[in-house]
Amino acid sequence: MPSLGLLLVLALASLLPASDAVQLANPDATRSDELRGVVAGLPPNALVLVGFDPDLGTYGEIRATVRAALDDLIAHGARLAFVSFTPEGRALAAAELDRMRRAGQGALIADLGFVAGSEAGLVRSVADVVPADAVGAVADSIRARGGAMGAFTLVLVVSGGDLSARSWIEQVRPRLPSISLVAIAPTFLEPELAPYLRSGQLHALLATLRDGVAYANAVPVDQSAVTRRPISALPMLAGMLLALTLMGGSALRRLARGAPRGAG
Amino acid sequence: MNGFFTPDLVGGLGTWVAVLLTVGVWSYAVGERTIFRLLQLLLAGLATGYLALLAIHDVLLPRLLVPLVTDAPNHPLLFPAVALVAVMAGAAWLPRRVVAPVAALLVAGVAAFALGGAIVGTLLPQMAAALIDPATGGSGVIDGFVALAITILVLLAFLHGSPRGRFVQRGAGIGRWLLIGGIGAWFGFLLVSRLSLLVDRVAFLLGDWLGLLR
Repeated sequence: MPSLGLLLVLALASLLPASDAVQLANPDATRSDELRGVVAGLPPNALVLVGFDPDLGTYGEIRATVRAALDDLIAHGARLAFVSFTPEGRALAAAELDRMRRAGQGALIADLGFVAGSEAGLVRSVADVVPADAVGAVADSIRARGGAMGAFTLVLVVSGGDLSARSWIEQVRPRLPSISLVAIAPTFLEPELAPYLRSGQLHALLATLRDGVAYANAVPVDQSAVTRRPISALPMLAGMLLALTLMGGSALRRLARGAPRGAG
Repeated sequence: MNGFFTPDLVGGLGTWVAVLLTVGVWSYAVGERTIFRLLQLLLAGLATGYLALLAIHDVLLPRLLVPLVTDAPNHPLLFPAVALVAVMAGAAWLPRRVVAPVAALLVAGVAAFALGGAIVGTLLPQMAAALIDPATGGSGVIDGFVALAITILVLLAFLHGSPRGRFVQRGAGIGRWLLIGGIGAWFGFLLVSRLSLLVDRVAFLLGDWLGLLR
């Protein structure tokens, strides 16, 4: 049973001690540096909007990167406001907010909740993003700056399949051209979002596992680092080798089956 | 550690439930279908229940019922909105001539909304970004022409059924292979993505549950 074999190989590879010989982090740190540069350039006490709409299915891939980014923002004095436009994103945002409050970061974050309507809700939020029942110093600061998306210095979009940074670029950016957008996305969204980075519509993008790990490794480790341990390189290597072996074997079998037909 | 569970009894219970569900889903790998189907139903049920709660708590109560009850004169648009929803919800028994214009209005509105964003936010800026700019130097110009050539060849691959010469046909063949190469690269991305999720689950079992990873 190849599936069971794959699980056993991954478990064994996970238990082996980490080695410097196998690195998952991308040696080309350009994208990681771009995001770090944007965060480092924030003014003191900057308000950052976190558009939190990852998928339940793929959040495991970007969780460590997202937490590193949140830690990085807070370390640079930013105050964060979370808003979600998808139900799955809202569920994960609630879990992350709970984790951050437990870690003592409650005074630096605001929960702007769930906005219904997907892209229509996104557009409505351009003019008013703070719900009436939002409380706390961060929510008050946003209201003091008008309560709209223009109050934020930066928007970090945590993307998923249902609503990605693309929606923000298509619906928010034309209405608020001065907005600064950065994004973290699972690997499968990389081909969709990379053109926006090249055109300058996104200021930074982490959309591959390797860039995410490079970024997570670059952000200084603190007490919460145990909850943002990046995915280990060794099981990834073992899994990729196994997958390639299976695919290669399948291709060879197919070729072997096809040869007599071709000869005939 | 995924950080979602607290180190107390509730967190421990949550970890155990997550472990049982993970192992239950993985039982599909050894041919067990019943547990997997039950867990699929559980996921669908939980998701539906969560959606219903979210809709009631975050949408219907604060954005519809409370404004209608407490401050109706200042929310005049809510009445036609409720009428619209009533028409859509009652679509099964209302005559088609009533439902059709409303449905058409909604579909056209959503389509125009998405199309407008796609043109202004993606198509025009991406076309501008794709223009070959001689000021970027040699590599930029070469990149631009390579991108242009690939785009033309791939578009040629979609010319089905129309009369074509040998030159266009050969170009379409190359375009088809470029398309397959692109899809293959995307499949590679997907493979890495899904493998990392599996590794994360294995790490959850070994680390959060068994405590073997530090």
